[in-house]
Amino acid sequence: MTDPQIAVLMLGAFIFVILLGFPIAFTLMGMGLAFGYYAYYDPERMSSIFDNRVFDLFVNQTYSVMSNDVLTAVPLFLFMGYIVERANIVARLFHTLNVAAQRIPGSMAVAALITCALFATATGIIGAVVTLMGLLAFPAMLKARYDTSFASGVICAGGCLGILIPPSIMLIVYAATSGVSIVKLYAGALFPGFMLAGLYLVYVIGRALLNPSIAPKPEKDEIGEISTMQVVVMLLTSFFPLAFLILSVLGAILLGLATPSEAASIGALGGLVLAIAYRALTWDRLKEAVYLTVRTSAMVCWLFVGSWTFSSVFSYLGGEHLISEFVLSLDLSPITFLIIAQLIIFLLGWPLEWSEIIIIFVPIFLPLLPHFGIDPLLFGILIALNLQTSFLTPPMAMAAYYLKGISPPSVQLTQIFSGVMPYLSMIFLAMALLYIFPEIALWLPEVVYGR
Amino acid sequence: MERFILFVDNVSAWFGKAFAWLILVMTFGTSYEVFMRYVLRDPTPWAFDVSYMMYGTLFMMAGAYTLSRDGHVRGDFLYRLWRPRVQARVELTLYILFFFPAVLALVLAGWKYAGRSWRYLEVSVMSPANVPVFQFKTVIVVAGLLLVIQGIAQVCRCLLCIRTGEWPRRAEDVEEMEDVLLREHERDELQHYSEAVDVIDPNEPGKGSGKGAGKDAGENRP
Repeated sequence: MTDPQIAVLMLGAFIFVILLGFPIAFTLMGMGLAFGYYAYYDPERMSSIFDNRVFDLFVNQTYSVMSNDVLTAVPLFLFMGYIVERANIVARLFHTLNVAAQRIPGSMAVAALITCALFATATGIIGAVVTLMGLLAFPAMLKARYDTSFASGVICAGGCLGILIPPSIMLIVYAATSGVSIVKLYAGALFPGFMLAGLYLVYVIGRALLNPSIAPKPEKDEIGEISTMQVVVMLLTSFFPLAFLILSVLGAILLGLATPSEAASIGALGGLVLAIAYRALTWDRLKEAVYLTVRTSAMVCWLFVGSWTFSSVFSYLGGEHLISEFVLSLDLSPITFLIIAQLIIFLLGWPLEWSEIIIIFVPIFLPLLPHFGIDPLLFGILIALNLQTSFLTPPMAMAAYYLKGISPPSVQLTQIFSGVMPYLSMIFLAMALLYIFPEIALWLPEVVYGR
Repeated sequence: MERFILFVDNVSAWFGKAFAWLILVMTFGTSYEVFMRYVLRDPTPWAFDVSYMMYGTLFMMAGAYTLSRDGHVRGDFLYRLWRPRVQARVELTLYILFFFPAVLALVLAGWKYAGRSWRYLEVSVMSPANVPVFQFKTVIVVAGLLLVIQGIAQVCRCLLCIRTGEWPRRAEDVEEMEDVLLREHERDELQHYSEAVDVIDPNEPGKGSGKGAGKDAGENRP
């Protein structure tokens, strides 16, 4: 067998072993080492069985993950997220927005959507957003006689926006895999994120206007008499602090004031201040946030250790070259390639989580992008849009299952899925728009950072 | 065997949790740097080195802790359909086949790597402050050793499971918010039987008080 064939075997074997459900970071390390031992085998250097350069490669790759300056932002943003998640902020935020939006059609759904978007952006933890909102806004909407599907769609889709709208952890991870500057990625993701959120809002209000029965107007006594002044005070105490936190982190990055890890540390500090201001920061909560941060960081970063070892062996064996030759021999047009790549990522999103997809599978596509003249920045944002679907489509629709898990038994999974469908089509619409008008993503980075 | 597993879990958790607090050092240290650089225009020479070292140490040392709490991501869409005994057999094989060679290699190669660094007391080249990095490279060895020990405990878990047919319980620990909420909700439903149509707001424990005295939602919450 030639080396590239071994590489293909390596990839095939890896995909098979993934199915066995072993922690993927260690599978990658083990297989990377085994195939690397073969690839770097050099009988002349063998004075003991350890004289193989694959070991140096392994430890060097480990050290490059440890000293990677993009990934330093990961634990900081996670910490900010866990602190904000525990700051008892959702209930206030939703209540305030609900009052503030009361004159808009489908007011409660609009409030839920904005709360989800804001909270998901600040925490980046989809499961927490969907379950918290599922316990808070979902019952409130059902009680207000909102249509079940309509209400569940809002919460599931809104909760997933955190993947795309910066500061998103997923984009940091993509930046570390692709080498695209993280600040440019954040700048690029801003308008697509707002565009998608805007599409959702238009849809929610539009549906409520066309068919008022799915989102009945609140009755007078449900909200009570609240003066404009009170609404302003409520907004000032609950909506603006969080919005300000997000904007200051983003602003710092976009104006070039601070690097992402610096902005992230400001965000984490801001999160702590916010939690203290809401009198929600107890010793226990701080401990929980710290421990969860370290576990999630370890999960993501060890995956990098495995993946970088695996992929350097893979490309040393010539696997990468073989794949690009194969794809180029198909003579695809850029648009076909893009559609196929996104389709594969969409399908991978069914069984796998975003971290695995970005760290392990996306690097296979990255070397192909220059051949087709596709900007890796645009590609990353398309992926961020695309991966939202992986939380929404069966069979592994995590967002839908979380919602089902905490909702009353009368709510059927099929109702949730049918509520989510319109949002899926909006995501695809957003992807198409982004492909046709790449300026939506590329304009801001160009203005801020030039080319 | 169970006591051994518990002991190792505690050791891993102790290290993971102790080093987890570095996140606070990182937050305050980097914020201090931001303040110095953008407000006082006087950047520190060490902040960058310190921040990546904090980050690297933090995640490396938590590898074993995360493993002990089953926190490393797996592609489990088939795995979870199997009976525990099958899961344990497959896992045991893969621990021996992939996990141990990998972490042992990490320890040995890391030893050589860190040793070289110790010999001339290497300092970071990223900044002029001469921040030492040899201790940072030693983290690889320590993290690897912790993983080896935790790996042995995981193997014991598999063996126990093969013998008894069910996975031994894990020690209580913090969990993701969604898992906690889902479990609480499930428990509430069990306690409410057919009344489960009710909706309970976790922030207003008094809401469920309309029902039978013993089933008050407020009492079910810790």
